[in-house]
Amino acid sequence: MDKLTIFLHITIFTISIGLLGCSADRSSSGNELLYWSSNNTYEIEFARAMVKSWNKQNPQVNIRFQPVPEGQSSEEVILAAVVGETTPDIYSNMWQGDVESYARAGVLIPLDTLDGFLDYINERCDKRVIEEITSTDGHIYQIPWKINPIMLIYNEKLLSQIGFNQPPRTYEDFLEAGRRFHKDTDGDGYVDRWIGYAEVVVTWWQRFFDFYPLYLAASKGKALIKDNEVVFDNQDAIDVFRFLRKLYANNYFSLERLSARQDVFLSGIIATRFTGPWEIRHAERFKPKGFRYSFSTIPVPSDTLQNIYTYGDPKNIVIFNTCDNPAQAWQFLKFITNKQNDLKFLQMTRQLPRRKHLAKDSTFASFFDNNPKMIPFARQARYVKGTDSSPVLKEVFDIISREYEACVVYGEKSAKQAVRNAAEAARLIVR
Amino acid sequence: MRKVILYTVLIAGALMFIYPFLWMVLASLAPEQDIGNLALIPSSLTLKSYLQMFQKIPIFRAFFNSILVTASITTGVLVFGSMVGYALSRLEFRGRNLIFYIIIFTMTLPFQIILIPQYIIMVELRWVDTYLALIVPYMINALSIIMFRQYFKSIPQDLIDAARIDGCSEFRILFRILWPNAIPAMVTVGIIIFMTTWNEVLWPLIVIRKEELMTMPQLVTLFVVGGRAESQLGVKLASATMLAIPIILAYLFFQRYFIQSMATTGLKE
Amino acid sequence: MLLKKKHIAPYAMVSPYIIHFLAFIAFPVIFSLVLIFHHWNIIAPMEYVGLDNFYRLFHDKLFFKAIGNTLIFLIIHIPLQIIIALFLAEVLNQKIKLRGFFRAAFFLPVVISGVVVTYLWQQLYGYDTGLINRILVNLGLGRVGWIINPDMAMPSIAFMATWKNVGLYVVLFLVGLQSVPPHYYEAADLEGASHWQKFRYITLPSINPTIFMVVILSTLGGFSLFIEPYIMTGGGPLNSTLSAMLYIYKQGFFFYHMGYAATLGFFFALIILIVIIIQRKVVERES
Repeated sequence: MDKLTIFLHITIFTISIGLLGCSADRSSSGNELLYWSSNNTYEIEFARAMVKSWNKQNPQVNIRFQPVPEGQSSEEVILAAVVGETTPDIYSNMWQGDVESYARAGVLIPLDTLDGFLDYINERCDKRVIEEITSTDGHIYQIPWKINPIMLIYNEKLLSQIGFNQPPRTYEDFLEAGRRFHKDTDGDGYVDRWIGYAEVVVTWWQRFFDFYPLYLAASKGKALIKDNEVVFDNQDAIDVFRFLRKLYANNYFSLERLSARQDVFLSGIIATRFTGPWEIRHAERFKPKGFRYSFSTIPVPSDTLQNIYTYGDPKNIVIFNTCDNPAQAWQFLKFITNKQNDLKFLQMTRQLPRRKHLAKDSTFASFFDNNPKMIPFARQARYVKGTDSSPVLKEVFDIISREYEACVVYGEKSAKQAVRNAAEAARLIVR
Repeated sequence: MRKVILYTVLIAGALMFIYPFLWMVLASLAPEQDIGNLALIPSSLTLKSYLQMFQKIPIFRAFFNSILVTASITTGVLVFGSMVGYALSRLEFRGRNLIFYIIIFTMTLPFQIILIPQYIIMVELRWVDTYLALIVPYMINALSIIMFRQYFKSIPQDLIDAARIDGCSEFRILFRILWPNAIPAMVTVGIIIFMTTWNEVLWPLIVIRKEELMTMPQLVTLFVVGGRAESQLGVKLASATMLAIPIILAYLFFQRYFIQSMATTGLKE
Repeated sequence: MLLKKKHIAPYAMVSPYIIHFLAFIAFPVIFSLVLIFHHWNIIAPMEYVGLDNFYRLFHDKLFFKAIGNTLIFLIIHIPLQIIIALFLAEVLNQKIKLRGFFRAAFFLPVVISGVVVTYLWQQLYGYDTGLINRILVNLGLGRVGWIINPDMAMPSIAFMATWKNVGLYVVLFLVGLQSVPPHYYEAADLEGASHWQKFRYITLPSINPTIFMVVILSTLGGFSLFIEPYIMTGGGPLNSTLSAMLYIYKQGFFFYHMGYAATLGFFFALIILIVIIIQRKVVERES
């Protein structure tokens, strides 16, 4: 062979390796069901254990398990799978906010048409949750599975140094804590520690960690969009905007994008942050010696101190319509979401199963005794809301996020104005 | 005196362009808590950031992907570009001018117009999340065709005639006779394509969702803007350093060619 | 047989290009003309909506803001690029040692991925611990909100882009400068011409073509501004760094409004063409 032929062969070879990369087999047939879980390490372990014990007990239906492929985000990967018609039969990490648009596109199986689903869901969830997960067409396309409620984490030492032995629970207290805590520690004329931090970028889902939980807390769980109507232009939203604006206007919150730096909470540059239970694992791993932290409810206006809601970041289970055998898939879902397995899930992943009476149920009691840091989250679980059913939810959050930036971060407009403008813009696209 | 000012300006300039990269490399080797105040020399050197980064993202897989994609595209552009360039410059056939004008036209066509439809073609071909989507659309490049066409025009007709008399096919003439005589053009095109492909990030962001197929720039972009670095600055800097190193190395060795290639391409446009 | 083969060869050689052109350029252009009349989120069927996308576009303040931002970027970036490149090229064109080294140093950022450069500058631009502000504070000057001040953010990105690309234009200018015959300057010296006169009447005319090229290349580059704001600011603060490309990307790949994104792309491409044509016309008139 001369050099040219070798060269051409190499070209063909490299290209054909490329071709091989895309021939992964994802089809399932007959008595085999393909199940994707999230690609979180602990959830993979949980799913493996579940599938193993199911397959042992039910030799007639085999479940094949695979974590959702790592990608830009699991939402993007699922979307690509839907577009490419390579969806699994069962997927257990569906963000609730995405379900409505998939349901409208007709790629999900209405679960309420399955045998015994309504009894099951009534036993698992209270009315409020069922209402929340029901699609605008009246069907239910998802099983509420797990939540990670957003709460206020705080640095005990730093707060007690400024005279707060209890975490600030109201706007008033929080602002006072902010006033006392913000400081120029190195004397260069610039504040370099703040009471808290929220992402200052406009990316829509960042509002799950500031505006949205605060709105749910202030409004006791009101919707943003209800029955295809924009309903968030109310006093609660204005109060939230106003409160947040004060934090930025007085330099209690940092304008700089601190997330591009080292962990500012663990290094004591901020004293609080809105976050979920995953922070526990992170803090335990990276915290400096002697660092003490706890969780508390989201700050609220002083007249709302009871039943404080928050956002729960719900991830749910769905069955795609590419599934040949929904009845069997449904049996499997009942199995992995039964009480014993919910406990196992809680133990293995430290995420909360979304079922009623979590904090009171004796099944889960010993877990919380052994993991006291999780108790606030379990208590919170009763007052958790997910997302509203709307196919344009992301766009609505994007609109809110822009007004949030203009009002809260930069003070370009009043809270009232910003909320009104956001609602006007949202009305144009909500159908 | 004038000399002193001259060299001060030059050295200050050179520092401005080199120092940030130096800072990045040193910061990626510094202990995490040093980075915030780092000016140049960290208190101690450590590979911890790198080891952590290797655990968090499949950077070596991404490196392999980048190599595969870059090599395939560069090869494709050289082979196809020289073929079309040769046909346009040295062969007579109907439609030659038409094709030439089409090429010129596509060069002035802003890519913004075809970005979305091109993605949809990838979707319809089921190429999303495959190497094909990364490689095939870029295997032909109008600028390279024009450059080859120009270069082949300067090659003496005698060379081609002699080969034809020997009974060589046109393909053989191109790949066996002209290629060895076209090394400068190949190097120029090769370097440009290698560099732009290696650094391309918008298209991969669009067509690749799965991590195992991501190229390095995409993986690093998502890593530095995303949450997987767990707010650790060192690991992000380490990933950025890993992305820069291959090109820096290539540049150190072939610096002269890089500069020449980029300059001639600039002049061509 | 031989004759026949000879007739086929040219077509065989250009066929890959033709296939590529039809599949990845001609078809997308035609398809974009279809898309702009539809709503499509790729998972549900396409929905014909007539001129709705255009209606939306002309009411989309954000898109026009994004185009405006892109123009602001160009207005800062291009002159800055030309001045700095020309200055450095002039310096390099003196009789100096290590010219190769300096040239290579200036050129370094050109070859490195924009991803690296942007992330690096995000660190340098940091308000609190960024290197630049630390230096300013040490010099007794105040901090600057490089990328958190809405009025500063786009200029900061433009400056970074200049830093990244200027090396290329230094080299191009250097080629231009070295093409000036030395005796022109000698003659001018004899006539007692000032530095400025020499620059204005000898240097400038000889590098005019290079300047136009820099303008056109930077314009094209500026219109595809994407990864810099994507990494550094996400388009903020207050949408001040939202580039047209970033906005199209968001519409297409955050919200999957394919029809609308295609409409934006189409419209934006028209704007680019108009700007480029105007620039070419100016160039032709000048030369």
